[in-house]
Amino acid sequence: MTPLQGASPLPLLPTTVVGSYSVPEWLEGAKTDYYQRKISKHYLDDIHEVVTKAALKDQERAGIDVVSGGELTRDNDIDYLLVRLPGIDIPDTGKSNSYDYYDAVVRQQLPTSSRFPLSLTADYQLVRDNTDHPVKFSFTGPFSLSRKLRNEAYADSADLVRALAELLNAEAKRLVAAGATVLQLDEPLLCGYRDQVSTAIDGINTVVDGVDASWALHICYGNRYARPSWEGHYDFLFPAVMDAQVDQLVLEFARRGYEDLDLLARSGWDRGVGVGVIDVKSDEVETAETVARRIRRALRAVSPERMTINPDCGLRHLPGDVARAKLRAMAEGTAIVRSELSGVTPPSDTTAVREESAVSPEPVQEGVTQS
Amino acid sequence: MLVDVRPTRRLRGSSPVDVSAALGPIVEALGQDTVDLSRLRVVCDWVQYKHNFRDVIDIRPIMGNASSEMGLEAAVDLRRCAGTDLSAATATALREFHHPGSADRTYLEPWTAGKDSCIWEFNSLYWQALGRWEEVSGKDYEQALPGGSSDGRNQDAARELILELFDTWDELARLSSLPEQLYVVELGVGNGGQAKTWLDEFRELALIRGVDYYQRLHYIMGDYSPHVLKLAQDAVAEHSGQVSSIVVDATDPTASLGFLRHKAFLVYISNVYDNLPTDEVASISGRTYRVEVRAYVPREGTLALAEMLSSSPDQVGAVVGKLLRLGPELLAEALLGQLPDVPSAVRFWQEAWSWLRLEERYVPLEGLDLYQICPSVTGEALRPILEDRGDLRMQVSNGAVASFVETLRLLHPYGRLHCHDLFVTDARRYDSHFCGPGKYDGSIVNWVNGALVQYIGNRRGFEVNYSPFRHREGTNITTLTAHVRE
Repeated sequence: MTPLQGASPLPLLPTTVVGSYSVPEWLEGAKTDYYQRKISKHYLDDIHEVVTKAALKDQERAGIDVVSGGELTRDNDIDYLLVRLPGIDIPDTGKSNSYDYYDAVVRQQLPTSSRFPLSLTADYQLVRDNTDHPVKFSFTGPFSLSRKLRNEAYADSADLVRALAELLNAEAKRLVAAGATVLQLDEPLLCGYRDQVSTAIDGINTVVDGVDASWALHICYGNRYARPSWEGHYDFLFPAVMDAQVDQLVLEFARRGYEDLDLLARSGWDRGVGVGVIDVKSDEVETAETVARRIRRALRAVSPERMTINPDCGLRHLPGDVARAKLRAMAEGTAIVRSELSGVTPPSDTTAVREESAVSPEPVQEGVTQS
Repeated sequence: MLVDVRPTRRLRGSSPVDVSAALGPIVEALGQDTVDLSRLRVVCDWVQYKHNFRDVIDIRPIMGNASSEMGLEAAVDLRRCAGTDLSAATATALREFHHPGSADRTYLEPWTAGKDSCIWEFNSLYWQALGRWEEVSGKDYEQALPGGSSDGRNQDAARELILELFDTWDELARLSSLPEQLYVVELGVGNGGQAKTWLDEFRELALIRGVDYYQRLHYIMGDYSPHVLKLAQDAVAEHSGQVSSIVVDATDPTASLGFLRHKAFLVYISNVYDNLPTDEVASISGRTYRVEVRAYVPREGTLALAEMLSSSPDQVGAVVGKLLRLGPELLAEALLGQLPDVPSAVRFWQEAWSWLRLEERYVPLEGLDLYQICPSVTGEALRPILEDRGDLRMQVSNGAVASFVETLRLLHPYGRLHCHDLFVTDARRYDSHFCGPGKYDGSIVNWVNGALVQYIGNRRGFEVNYSPFRHREGTNITTLTAHVRE
């Protein structure tokens, strides 16, 4: 499939999110209360339903084309899956804060059978039932999961990655059966293990194998507590990532600049690119024109047909008002560039911004870097 | 009536404090008054700072909603009880409570949050005009420190830190991920002694190790005082190729160091946090309060200051305000007839500082989320400590928290914050120790709420550890280290 094909019909430069949405302090408090046995699962489920609906509404109002549930039902990017996976031992399921990671152990080899549903379909269904927009559903990839497990069962950690991938593959098929068309694998920890990209890609290919969906792969420099966990470049991904059987790479650029897009072009990446145009590690709200400028820069290296517009990573750590404003700016900035590409005057609310900046659109040349 | 004797360690040992001798006359005097004894707390501290902002007996209202008083606290400094007519002191404090104005105090401000009190203007003035203060007092600030020198000059401590840094850089170099510029930041540079010690050691160790880290080093000295920065620059002149200096507000380092976001491998801060503005909060009978203060000069002090000015007592408050606005040099110019030269103005300043006291009252905090510890941290961060401890009073360390949180933003993913200061690392200490504010020469000292700093650091993804300063015995200084948690 081509990028986001399952979500068609979509405009040129479709806007989407990476996954997580702003988690207010009170929500994290409520989740923590659950882990400290102060509120019931039923109470928490109710809260999750309400906040997921609100997250969807916020995205729709901001003008996002392909929305997500905001991952608000998850405590963090790892544990929501570890607790569902068969064969994972979590000795202490209490937490002093919901965002903390469990100490999780794999003591014996994981079952290979596909008869263990992970119930991600219920999370997907909650989203699907509450929006008419196309939905992207994301979950954490096997490599990052493996890095948060104490491995006492596999002599070769690559075997653990593969075993996790097989369980995720079965779940991905269930998601597609439930109606999911756009799936995204997140590998938030990969950047810290630059010498293990091939292992991660093997795991990813196991997850996507035989799953009829448009697949995105998101790799950033880390976003735990809104901080990067690595500073460098995406060069470590290549050439291994070329073998990933995914339709789109979703990458972080807004915070660090767009030089690495040229790296994609040089490496011959000819599939989709989700271009990060919103810095999720800063509370400063971008203007629509800033977004437009970033997209124009990205268009030097990626054709518009292959490009999706998204924030650098999840919006989890941003205050709600900031997250909403950033998404609005992203949609408005994208609209400016769409208009430039089509030669149509943008809607009145973005015309002013465009005239103010008076920046000419960059010429679009596939795979060519312009200085 | 609830009596809380906090310095429990003082009740034992070779010369235990005689609590009953202290409490007897106080309770008797309270009993003879009309205050509601069922809503009275008597809280006994041992105020270890010889110079502080308290009287032997202070009466503090515990406010309810709509400014009504819900209770009362009698605060007792046990260290000063011996030799004081406690019955009379209690009666005087109660009289002022019942009849405000009867003690003829000179108030320097209206009721305000602790961090906004004018005592912090005195504190700032001290650092701005430190040279003038030292000229008159005849001793350097460093001589006033325990041990007579700053721990920042300790060579062993510097060497240990530098070698850890080298190990990190070696590993990043192995991964081809070591940036060309290696940033190290020092906030609050003092006279540059620490920077010089550190840079000398760094150059030598890099040479021994055979690495080019010294050539790639960019050591940034930050201080809010351009004058101090100039002195520090002079101290490290031989390293000028590696050093930049920049004016930095310690409570908002990203304002001037934003270009270092996620780039600094080491941020070093020594004895800054304890000297930054703070509020205090209290949990009393399940309700949370903020401590409001009102700075004043007692009548005896007002008379003494008036005599120095050769003027009437009612002018004292205005002149103190002028001192805080102008500093001693301009004050001497402005009041030439009353303060003939700068040393006279400094002596007036020192006298005012010595008499300075704080009235206190407890004001309800209506929702922790509505209270800002600093711009990026709400009072919700206080909840785990307040909910865990029952009745408690503690520093919020607003300035320290702001500085800490904003400094974390500067750190490279493999960077670390290294800080020497006075930390309360376990909130239980608040049950039994007085943690400030005290007067330290012309500055303020408050123990930093280390438990809160640690919690806030954890919630931002940092491992925050405390250890006693290892390179000098008998010190209260604690070393905080913070680095990104896995």
